[in-house]
Amino acid sequence: MSLTNTALLKVENLGVRFLMKSNMLLGKKTYLYAVDDVSFEIQRGETLAIVGESGSGKTTAALAAARLVKAYTGKITLDNTDMLQIQKEKLRQARTKVQFIFQDPYSSLNPRLRAEEIVKEPLNSLTNFSSQKKQTLVNDLFAAVGLRPEQQRLFPHQFSGGQRQRIGIARALATQPELIICDEPVSALDVAVQAQILNLLRELQSKFELTYLFISHDLGVVQHMCDQIAVMYMGKIVEYADRLSLFNSPLHPYTSALLSAIPSVDQKRRENTKRILIPGDPPDPINPPKGCRFANRCPVAKDICFQKEPKLQNTKDNHRVACHLVDETAVSPLKHLL
Amino acid sequence: MNNTDKNIVKARHPFTEAFEMFSKNIAAVIALIVLFLIILIAIFGPTLYPVDPFDMVWMPFSPPGEEGFIFGTDYLGRDLVAMIVHGARVSIIIGLSAAFVTVFIGVSVGAMAGFYRGWVEEVLMRITEFFQVLPTLLFAMVIVALFGASLTMITIAIGAVSWTAVARITRAEFLRIRELEYVTASRASGANNFILMFGIILPNALPPIIVQAALMVGSAILFEAGLSFLGLTDPNVVSWGQVIGSNRSYLLDASFTVTIPGAAIFITVLCISLVGDGLNDALNPKLRQR
Amino acid sequence: MTDPLLSVKNLRIELNTRDGVAPVIDDFSFDLFPGEAISFVGESGCGKSMTALGIMGLLPEGVGKIASGSINFAGEDLSSAEQKRMRNIRGNEISMIFQEPMTSLNPVYTIGEQIAEVLRAHQGLSKQASWTKAIELLDAVRIPNPQARISDYPFQMSGGQRQRVMIAIALACEPKILIADEPTTALDVTVQAQIFDLLNDLRKQTGTAIILITHDMGAVAEMAERMIVMYAGRKVEEGPVQQVIDNAGHPYTQGLISCVPHILEKLTAKRQMLQEVPGIVPSLRDFGKDQCLFASRCQYVSEKCNNTRPTENKFSSSQTVACWLTESIQ
Repeated sequence: MSLTNTALLKVENLGVRFLMKSNMLLGKKTYLYAVDDVSFEIQRGETLAIVGESGSGKTTAALAAARLVKAYTGKITLDNTDMLQIQKEKLRQARTKVQFIFQDPYSSLNPRLRAEEIVKEPLNSLTNFSSQKKQTLVNDLFAAVGLRPEQQRLFPHQFSGGQRQRIGIARALATQPELIICDEPVSALDVAVQAQILNLLRELQSKFELTYLFISHDLGVVQHMCDQIAVMYMGKIVEYADRLSLFNSPLHPYTSALLSAIPSVDQKRRENTKRILIPGDPPDPINPPKGCRFANRCPVAKDICFQKEPKLQNTKDNHRVACHLVDETAVSPLKHLL
Repeated sequence: MNNTDKNIVKARHPFTEAFEMFSKNIAAVIALIVLFLIILIAIFGPTLYPVDPFDMVWMPFSPPGEEGFIFGTDYLGRDLVAMIVHGARVSIIIGLSAAFVTVFIGVSVGAMAGFYRGWVEEVLMRITEFFQVLPTLLFAMVIVALFGASLTMITIAIGAVSWTAVARITRAEFLRIRELEYVTASRASGANNFILMFGIILPNALPPIIVQAALMVGSAILFEAGLSFLGLTDPNVVSWGQVIGSNRSYLLDASFTVTIPGAAIFITVLCISLVGDGLNDALNPKLRQR
Repeated sequence: MTDPLLSVKNLRIELNTRDGVAPVIDDFSFDLFPGEAISFVGESGCGKSMTALGIMGLLPEGVGKIASGSINFAGEDLSSAEQKRMRNIRGNEISMIFQEPMTSLNPVYTIGEQIAEVLRAHQGLSKQASWTKAIELLDAVRIPNPQARISDYPFQMSGGQRQRVMIAIALACEPKILIADEPTTALDVTVQAQIFDLLNDLRKQTGTAIILITHDMGAVAEMAERMIVMYAGRKVEEGPVQQVIDNAGHPYTQGLISCVPHILEKLTAKRQMLQEVPGIVPSLRDFGKDQCLFASRCQYVSEKCNNTRPTENKFSSSQTVACWLTESIQ
């Protein structure tokens, strides 16, 4: 295995659709394209965030990347393995490399199992370790996530939300995966507990050289956790850049609006940022508009935006954006509003 | 639910908590004890009270208490105590085995429909609806009339007309639980469909099924009584419904011959309902939060 | 200085739990002045919503009750007011909007019927007048094309629009106080911005005082002038928003501010570990104890904190803090 700058996970032109209704007589089917032509890659040891509001398809994209939701088109390469082509034993091996941390610490743990059994579950189905080796691993994992050994025997309902999330993290670490997909790992937790979990995630990342795919709607958390950020809107990536570039000079009008919408404790930021209000709601996802999907809410939309769909294009310094109004000079179309 | 660092918390299985909740429900506990006694009678009664329920032991319509016959005798002079004791066995066996058949068919159908969705669900649920709209008593009568009135056939007939409720409950629970994140977590850990269905989803879907199964025992006993009353019963065994059915013409002259087996059915079914109700409260996590 | 519109004094709300009676709100006092926006901040389980329900007279019957203290609203003590009087005050004088706009509207009536119903019940308007007013209200909460949308059912609207309808209902009778209990927690950030913007404008136009209940310091900074930080049913800090954010006196307030990764004006490559507040909010059965309830999570804890409940002390010109160690921490 080479440790050079090769992507651990590479997703190309991924598409996921859900059947909404089918007309058996006419053979006509209506689909909701939850993820549409999405490409991204994550380097080893880095963190990529996919941000977006509810219904943007960010969770579906992540689930599809781990083959937990069926993709109808696209290519997913994990550690040089084509994830969509493998079956059975190969798939089992690949599964040990990708694990999940879920949003809701209350529904993500099986209430009938003890904490240790929950953590052992992936070991039981994905490895052939002896029971002694499994127990040693579980002991180590509990220590790594900050739980006491005697808590192994307890059931999920006996833990607080933060502790439950720690069990979920221990389960994700059990098979020694390389990639961990964190699906809104702190949004269901109390603010003070969020910090505990975020710190733990960063600590574990450096300790075990983990790669994170981080799904979140909270841009504050994202800027704290991530190296690269992809912004999704209605199933498409609209902007894709590294952390500093995206937060300090956003290019897509949607990203700008999203950033300006976050209430801030920083008085200077509040005084200096003008809030860009985007009126209305996203259009119906079953019948997306012909042009840019953000056009109906965009404060600077031009005619072309309603006619043609913009492609994700590179501007400067690998800062990619899907907007007709941004060229290579990488100037935000909202500059005059800010 | 908050555990401070100082005191070590003991592991508590969710079912342990349910048991504690149940034991706080006095009516349900009493009902359970009575039910336990009835089951003891069903098992050991015939040995301890070895009077043949088909033997004519005394004059017909002897009122309760006379000549040592506590419950009196029926229109053929048979000992009603013997009939109740022997009948208990049949009624309980039919109740339990019909409930078992019901749960078996219902859970299988509901689990498949809820787990696989798509056309499997479509087909299975249409079949379920078909069975649901059949007039149950009539359908059971047809089965028994066609295939003979043995205990097995009666059990199957009761099971065949009452599994739909269990199927619907199971399907609803599967639909809910399959979307929960711990199921996705298990899938990410490589669990196959069989493990997902029976190892992960089913145990969590059990509480409402258990409650329904408990109530099923009661309604199966009633159903059997109904069939017996109409004469659709195995003539070689005695059941409570059959005692009522055979004595129904003398309801006005010797009402005890009907009311005593009626009371037996009433008490048993009431106890089962109370126990089912207690189980429902104990297994319902929302009530347990308080 | 004007008289306060709402003045809560030494409020104690008790809740019946499995382990006995627990004071979910313990010796809690605050004033709200006309047209002011204040905010209750704290983690869940700290009694923010319970205070609001207490003011509204909506404590869960048989479970919670006001044990002592007074709630003085325009010369009237609400803690001892009769149910009939409270029904009149709710909606008319004090209204409330909730976190979940999905379940707060009745799905079988159109939104117009639901707004008009409130107007008819509280203000005795005629059918025609209430309908016209309902359209005006929808326009005021910036629902586009109100004449058409008024006949929509709740399911035809998005979450943000439903919360706007809730605001329209809450403001229908021009109340003096609007209590907003986590009004945007269930909504997306861009929608949240729209709702905050709307609430701020409506406050300017109508002079309604707002009590915002939230756990988000950013939202507090955006919306309120004064904040009250609550912990385990007690007030731990009170003061003007920016002053508290810049110079928090209580370790819990400091923790709440620094445990969240904020987006600052200019992002730098450097990232620090977040400051953690270890542990969780104590369980209800510990609420009444004569000690600082934050002591078990506090890094500065001293012996006194575990033995005596801290008193409220003045801290700088307009801040009060309930902590024994405020002086030494600074």
